[in-house]
Amino acid sequence: MTFPEYDVVIIGSGPAGATTARILAGNGFQTLLVDKRQELGAPIQCSGAVSRHALEETGVPISTEYIQEAIYGFGIYNQEGRANFIDYRKLKPDEYGSEAGKKPLGFVVDRRRFDRFLLTQAERAGAETWLKTEGLGYSLLPNGKCEVRLRRFNEEIKVKARVLIGADGLQSQVGRWAGLRTHIKITELASCLQFVVDRVETDGLLEIITGHDWAPGGYAWVFPKGHGYAEIGLGVIPTLTDKNAQWHLDRFLKDSFFKDRFSDSRILEIQGGGVPLASPLRTQYADNLILVGDAARHVNPITGGGIHTALSGGIIAGKFLSQFLLSGEEPSKENLKGYQDAWLEKLGNKMWKLYEEKTAIFKLNDKAERDQKLFETMSSYFHPESEYKKI
Amino acid sequence: MSSKTPVLFQIGWNACINCGACVAICPQEAGFISDFDTIAVDRPCDIACMLCEDICPVTTITHTEVHSAKAKK
Repeated sequence: MTFPEYDVVIIGSGPAGATTARILAGNGFQTLLVDKRQELGAPIQCSGAVSRHALEETGVPISTEYIQEAIYGFGIYNQEGRANFIDYRKLKPDEYGSEAGKKPLGFVVDRRRFDRFLLTQAERAGAETWLKTEGLGYSLLPNGKCEVRLRRFNEEIKVKARVLIGADGLQSQVGRWAGLRTHIKITELASCLQFVVDRVETDGLLEIITGHDWAPGGYAWVFPKGHGYAEIGLGVIPTLTDKNAQWHLDRFLKDSFFKDRFSDSRILEIQGGGVPLASPLRTQYADNLILVGDAARHVNPITGGGIHTALSGGIIAGKFLSQFLLSGEEPSKENLKGYQDAWLEKLGNKMWKLYEEKTAIFKLNDKAERDQKLFETMSSYFHPESEYKKI
Repeated sequence: MSSKTPVLFQIGWNACINCGACVAICPQEAGFISDFDTIAVDRPCDIACMLCEDICPVTTITHTEVHSAKAKK
């Protein structure tokens, strides 16, 4: 029996996997993109905030198909409710706004629609896309390729590939197949819960609420969600509290300085996830294999934002592999290290720096000092002059 | 926190929000997962670090200890 053969097989069709597929297929490589889910993006584990710059930079057309609401800036709150507002409609009124000829700073997207849109882009670029297909394992072949075992609906299928790409999220199994230690330290994974609610007003700003009392080790957020809805959530570091995220969110709704604002809220959706406030994975490659997106922990360790970093990582992986596959070199671990080097240079080194900043904050033992530092860091992070604003 | 006695995890499927945090934190090797993308519930965990229970946003992972005679069956 002959097995279908591809240049690359990508497991997981989120922003990172689909973007990598779009670039590779667009450059003429035989690309198979698989995802185990029947509907991409679901269950939702993400608040869905992404900058307009991120979409433009990574060649994702801006579309009402996935946008839930436009964003024009930030509100960063300290524990007592004092806020720094960074509203681009006021900072640069000629440029930013909802009026004709002006633009938004970013968007809150519906991950179900966004991920489907990105899959469509990959598919239109020429990638083969299989849903309801899970990865079962991979093994190296003597000819320098690898064999990937998949299950598509009920059928087990083996395919051959030159490179396997693990884009299977934070809970990456692909990385573990290769023996990469992908699990995250308990002190660096925020346990997150969010509600999509009705009857909570928002004003085009991403609101971020710091303070140990509300979200120990993380922060709380209130984001506009379109159609008059909002999403209210928070993430906590389990070692800093003996209560779970659900308890903290309930308390934030009922007891915080926003309790009047939230008093009439009605829950429409419940979502959660683990958000790494961690360093990037130290090794993101193995023989015939690389990892992208959450699987490689390409997540901003201060904000927990992962869409921009996933899209950018996908572009970097796609461009690197496009060159690499043409070279005809063997996709050994040694040779694929170039991917990680390219990623570090473009993005990773900055993320390491952010990680160090974040670590320094949470090393502070004094709670008040730590809260103040996190508030300042968040405020300066989103400031127009921030050196990080483009990650 | 950690006990050396292997444990079998149980998940309250109604409360589970399918967030994947338990798998992300799990130090087990590949494949220690359930059909619903949680940590495995069909075989004992011999690490028994309980990090999955700690990370769960809705605290819906519990365990029972599996004593060796029983585990060998």
